[in-house]
Amino acid sequence: MSNIKIDSDILALLETDINKGFRLIVERYSTRLYWHIRRLVILHEDANDALQNTFVNAWRNISNFRSESSIYTWLYAIATNEAISLINKRTRNSAVSLDDLGKWFANSMEGSTWFDGDSAQVKLQNAILKLPEKQRIVFNMKYFEDMSYKDMSIVLKTSIGALKASYHHAVRKIENILTGI
Amino acid sequence: MKKTDNIQEDNPFKVPEKYFEELNRKILSSTVEKQASIKKPGLHLKLRSFLAIAASVSLLAILGYAGIKLFSSRNEALSLSSIPVEDYAETILNEIDILTLEENALLLEAYREEPQTEKKDIIDYLLLENIDINEIQDQL
Repeated sequence: MSNIKIDSDILALLETDINKGFRLIVERYSTRLYWHIRRLVILHEDANDALQNTFVNAWRNISNFRSESSIYTWLYAIATNEAISLINKRTRNSAVSLDDLGKWFANSMEGSTWFDGDSAQVKLQNAILKLPEKQRIVFNMKYFEDMSYKDMSIVLKTSIGALKASYHHAVRKIENILTGI
Repeated sequence: MKKTDNIQEDNPFKVPEKYFEELNRKILSSTVEKQASIKKPGLHLKLRSFLAIAASVSLLAILGYAGIKLFSSRNEALSLSSIPVEDYAETILNEIDILTLEENALLLEAYREEPQTEKKDIIDYLLLENIDINEIQDQL
């Protein structure tokens, strides 16, 4: 079922029974949003916190939701902002510079109970962590979630052209890292 | 860059056991269900409302009764003659305590004492009023 079809069902339900409509949103999007956030923040505990905040935020603003955008892009925008806020907070609290953030993430990931990857997966994740933050978000959304550039431009408030260029560069960097160039 | 089976299908990020089974319940408890529980007052809050209403009504009733009583007691004095003596006495006895009764009885006793009036003064009065003392002899 396409996102548009799912969203139209949810939108119709929100008009008649907002509680039921929101329950359906949680059912459909909670897992997807979790993985989107998790790939950004790496640690499970942080991902869980950001996800809870995402839905609390969405619930507070559900009455103001306008159907100009889809539920899907609206939720992803909230989730992405929550993840970025959490990363920035972590940077401030742990005195990790933005340059070292990738290393910090890599160490956290490999030291975490909730990471169990083989060598190829570890290498890929480490390579992704070397990307600048926004480029990492673009790469994750395109590579792991196959999000369209149109939806991505709504979520990240960036032009489609810039997003295409960003993804192209991200792929080149990761390939170079993995091949040892 | 195309996803390869080796990398994509084996997700290296793990989650605690039963995390996703409980996830939706936790999200709903802090959103939809939290709002629902705030809107429905608990039994103790409902009880407080009832008690508050009951207290207000009682206060109004007491004030109303006191007002009626105050108003009606003023009117009682004007129509005492229409009330049978026995009923009036009963009402008085019900409303006045025993100590007040004793006090009043002592006052009445004091009033019943013979006035200290001399016989001479009585005769002088009778003469002034042209009353024949023989006529009132039997009365005295």
